[in-house]
Amino acid sequence: MAGGPPKALPSTGPHSLRDMPHPLAGSSSEEAVGGDSTPSPDLLMGRSFGDKDLILPNGGTPAGTSSPASSSSLLNRLQLDDDIDGETRDLFVTVDDPKKHVCTMETYITYRITTKSTRVEFDLPEYSVRRRYQDFDWLRNKLEESQPTHLIPPLPEKFVVKGVVDRFSEEFVETRRKALDKFLKRITDHPVLSFNEHFNVFLTAKDLNSYKKQGMALLTRVGESVKHVTGGYKLRTRPLEFAAIGDYLDTFALKLGTIDRIAQRIIKEEIEYLVELREYGPVYSTWSALEGELAEPLEGVSGCIGNCSTALEELTDDMTEDFLPVLREYILYSDSMKSVLKKRDQVQAEYEAKLEAVALRKEERPKVPADVEKCQDRMECFNADLKADMERWQNNKRQDFRQLLMGMADKNIQYYEKCLMAWESIIPLLQEKQEAK
Amino acid sequence: MEQAPLDPERQLQPAPIEPLGLPDSGLEAAVGEEAEGARDAGSGVDTMTENNFGLKKIEISVSEAEKRTGRNAMNMQETYTAYLIETRSVEHTDGQSVLTDSLWRRYSEFELLRNYLLVYYPHVVVPPLPEKRAEFVWHKLSADNMDPDFVERRRIGLENFLLRIASHPILCRDKIFYLFLTQEGNWKETVNETGFQLKADSRLKALNATFRVKNPDKRFTELKHYSDELQSVISHLLRVRARVADRLYGVYKVHGNYGRVFSEWSAIEKEMGDGLQSAGHHMDVYASSIDDILEDEEHYADQLKEYLFYAEALRAVCRKHELMQYDLEMAAQDLASKKQQCEELATGTVRTFSLKGMTTKLFGQETPEQREARIKVLEEQINEGEQQLKSKNLEGREFVKNAWADIERFKEQKNRDLKEALISYAVMQISMCKKGIQVWTNAKECFSKM
Repeated sequence: MAGGPPKALPSTGPHSLRDMPHPLAGSSSEEAVGGDSTPSPDLLMGRSFGDKDLILPNGGTPAGTSSPASSSSLLNRLQLDDDIDGETRDLFVTVDDPKKHVCTMETYITYRITTKSTRVEFDLPEYSVRRRYQDFDWLRNKLEESQPTHLIPPLPEKFVVKGVVDRFSEEFVETRRKALDKFLKRITDHPVLSFNEHFNVFLTAKDLNSYKKQGMALLTRVGESVKHVTGGYKLRTRPLEFAAIGDYLDTFALKLGTIDRIAQRIIKEEIEYLVELREYGPVYSTWSALEGELAEPLEGVSGCIGNCSTALEELTDDMTEDFLPVLREYILYSDSMKSVLKKRDQVQAEYEAKLEAVALRKEERPKVPADVEKCQDRMECFNADLKADMERWQNNKRQDFRQLLMGMADKNIQYYEKCLMAWESIIPLLQEKQEAK
Repeated sequence: MEQAPLDPERQLQPAPIEPLGLPDSGLEAAVGEEAEGARDAGSGVDTMTENNFGLKKIEISVSEAEKRTGRNAMNMQETYTAYLIETRSVEHTDGQSVLTDSLWRRYSEFELLRNYLLVYYPHVVVPPLPEKRAEFVWHKLSADNMDPDFVERRRIGLENFLLRIASHPILCRDKIFYLFLTQEGNWKETVNETGFQLKADSRLKALNATFRVKNPDKRFTELKHYSDELQSVISHLLRVRARVADRLYGVYKVHGNYGRVFSEWSAIEKEMGDGLQSAGHHMDVYASSIDDILEDEEHYADQLKEYLFYAEALRAVCRKHELMQYDLEMAAQDLASKKQQCEELATGTVRTFSLKGMTTKLFGQETPEQREARIKVLEEQINEGEQQLKSKNLEGREFVKNAWADIERFKEQKNRDLKEALISYAVMQISMCKKGIQVWTNAKECFSKM
C-alpha cells in the first residue's frame, strides 16, 4: 500500500471549515483531495481525518486553527449553518433512477446518486455513481463510528418481510428511493457530516467495494478502542438539559408510535370502505339495465361511485407511500438519538470517574493529568455537538412535520374535491327531463 | 258523504286516468314540529286531496308516537307503540287549517287497513307499509322495534303511507279509509264486518304457486318479471349500502384518535404545540360529523325501501291478472268439454269420456227420455257457463284496462320519486364532500402554523 506523498492543503484565503480539524479528529496529517480524478486508496488510507476519532494527540493541532472546545470554533460552526441555510449552498445530492440488477446469486436494486458541488473536496464539479441499499447501510455505520457525537439521520428499514411486501414493486422502490434521498440530503445539510470522508467517497468512488474492504482493518481497531475508552462507566445523574432531551425523545417516540398506529388503522378502514364501494357502484348499473327513464340517472350514479372509489384508492396509496414511511423514519431517528445520548453519558461518566480517581490520590498539588483533560475535552465537545445537532434537529423536525401533516391534509382535500366534482357533475344529468314518450 | 264501496263490484268501475291533484302542486304535510317539506316534495305525494268528504282539502299527519301497554287478545300484557293521526281541513279562502279529527292507531290497524284495500282494489298498486321489523341495519342502528330512531322513522313511513292513499284517485274515496282517519272506536269491527277476509283469494298469498296460463297478457308477464328483478336489485343495494355506511362510520371515528394524540404531543412541543392542538380539535369535529351524515342517508334508504315494498304490490296485481286469466281459461275449458258432451249425446257418438257414458256401456243403454233429460241439463249448464264466461271475459278485460291504467300512473310516480331520491342522495354526498374539504382545510391551516 505504498502511496504518493500527501499533498499540501492549497491555501485559498479564508479558511474553510475544511481547515478546521474536527475536534475529535486526528492532528497534523491533513490531506487534500486534489489533483487526481479518482482518489486512490493510498491517499484515502493516509488520511487520518475521521478515522482516528477519539484519539486526541496531546495538544497537537495545526497552526492557524483554533482549539476545539473554544467558543470561537462553536461560533464558526454556527455561522456556517447560516450560510448553508442561505444562498451559499455548495453541495447538492440527489437519489433517483432505480434499476433492477439480476445476477446469478441475487437480484437487487441500485439507485443513481448525482452530486454537484463547488467544494474543493470534490475533484470534479459533478459526479454520478450507482449505489445499492447495503452501501447506504455501510455509509451510515461509518458515520456513526466516525462521528459519534453527532446525530446521524436514519435509513429506511433494512428488512422487509418477504411475501408480505414485494421488494421490487414500483411503490416500494419509490418509497425507498425517497427515504434514501432524504437521508443523503440531511447529511448534505449538516455542517460537519457533509464533510465526512466516507460520505465523500460514497458520493464519488467508482468502486466503493474495494474502499470498503480497505477500511475494514482499520475499522476494527478503531472500534475496539472506542469500546475500551468509553465502556464500563456508569453515569450518576444526567445533567438537566440532557435529561430533558431524553424525556422529550421518549415521549416523542411514544406519540409518533401512536400516530403510526392510528394512521395504519385509518388506511385499513379506508381500504375496507373501498371494498364495499366497489360492490356498491355496480349494483346501480344492474338496476339501470331494468329501467327505462331511470336508466341514465342510475348509470350516472354508478359511474360517480366508481370515480369516488378511484379517488379513495389514490388517497390510501398516497398515505401508505408518503405518510407512514416518514413517520417510521422519525421513530428510528429518535431511537438512534437516544443511543447517542447514552454515549454522551458514558463519556461524561468516564470523565467523572477519572476525576474522582485523581481526587482520591491525595497529592499535595493535584495536577490534572493529561488524560483527564482529554476526557474533559471529549465531554465538552460531545455536549456542544449534541446541543447544536439537537437544535438543528428540532428545526428540521418542525419543518418536516409541518410538511408531512400539511401533505396529509392536502391529500384528503384532494380526495374530497375529486368526489365533489363527480357528484356535482351528475346533478344536471339527474335533473334532466326526458322527452315526452 | 259518499257511500262506502263495500261491494266487490266497485272494483270494476273504471278509475279516472288523471290523478286528482297534481303531484307537483306542493306539499303541506305537517310532520311533528318540523316540516318534512324537502323529503316529501321529492316523493311527489300530494296531501291536498279533494275527496268526497265535503269537497274540502285535507291534510293528514302522523304527528306523534307513544309507548303503551295493554292486554292483547290472549289477555297477556304487551307493550306497543301508538301513533297519533291528525286530520286538518284547509279553508279555501285563507289557507288556514282546522283540526277536524285526531285519533291514535297502532301498526296492526294500519296492516288491517292495507289488507282490506288489497282485497277490494286488486287492480290498484296499493301503497306499502313501512317495514314491520328493522332490516338492512348497519351496526349503529338498533334492530329493536322500541328504539326511538326506529319508531321515528316508522312514524314518517306511516304518514307517507296515508298520504299515498289520500292522493290516489281511487283509494282516497274509500269509506273504510275515511273511517280509519275519523272513527277511533269500533273501526276494527267495521272493517271485519265487510267480510273482506272471506273475499280474499288465498291463492294470491301463495307467492310461489304457478298456474299454467295459456294466454296471459304479455305486458303483465313482463311486469311481473320486472317486479321480481326490482325487488332483488333493491335488496342487494340496501344490503351493500348498509355495509358502506358501517365502513364509512369506522373511517371517520378513527380520526377522532388523532385529536387526543395531537393534544398529548402538543404538550411537549414549544412552537409546534398550538398548531397541533388546534388541528386535533378539527379532527374531533371531523369524527363527530359522520353521525348526522349517516342519519340523513337513512332517509334515502327509506325511500328505496318504499319501492322495494312497492315492487311486491306490483307483483300482486300481476298475480291477480294471472289468476283471473287462469280461472277464465278453466271456465272456457269446462264449457268446451260440456258442449262436446252434449254434442256426443245428441249424435250418439262417444268421443269424450264421461262417467255416464261408462255406466251406460256397463249397464246398458239409457232410455231416450233419460238421454233427453241429460241433454237438457247439459244445455242449461252450457247456457249458464256461457253467461259466466261472458261476464268473466268482461271482468278480465275491465281488470286489465283498470290495472294497466294504475300501473302507468304508478310508473310515472316511481320514476319521479326515484329521480328525486337520487338527486337528494347526490346533494347529501355533495354536502358531505364540502364538509370534508372544510375540516381538512382548517386542519391544514393549523398545521401550517406549526
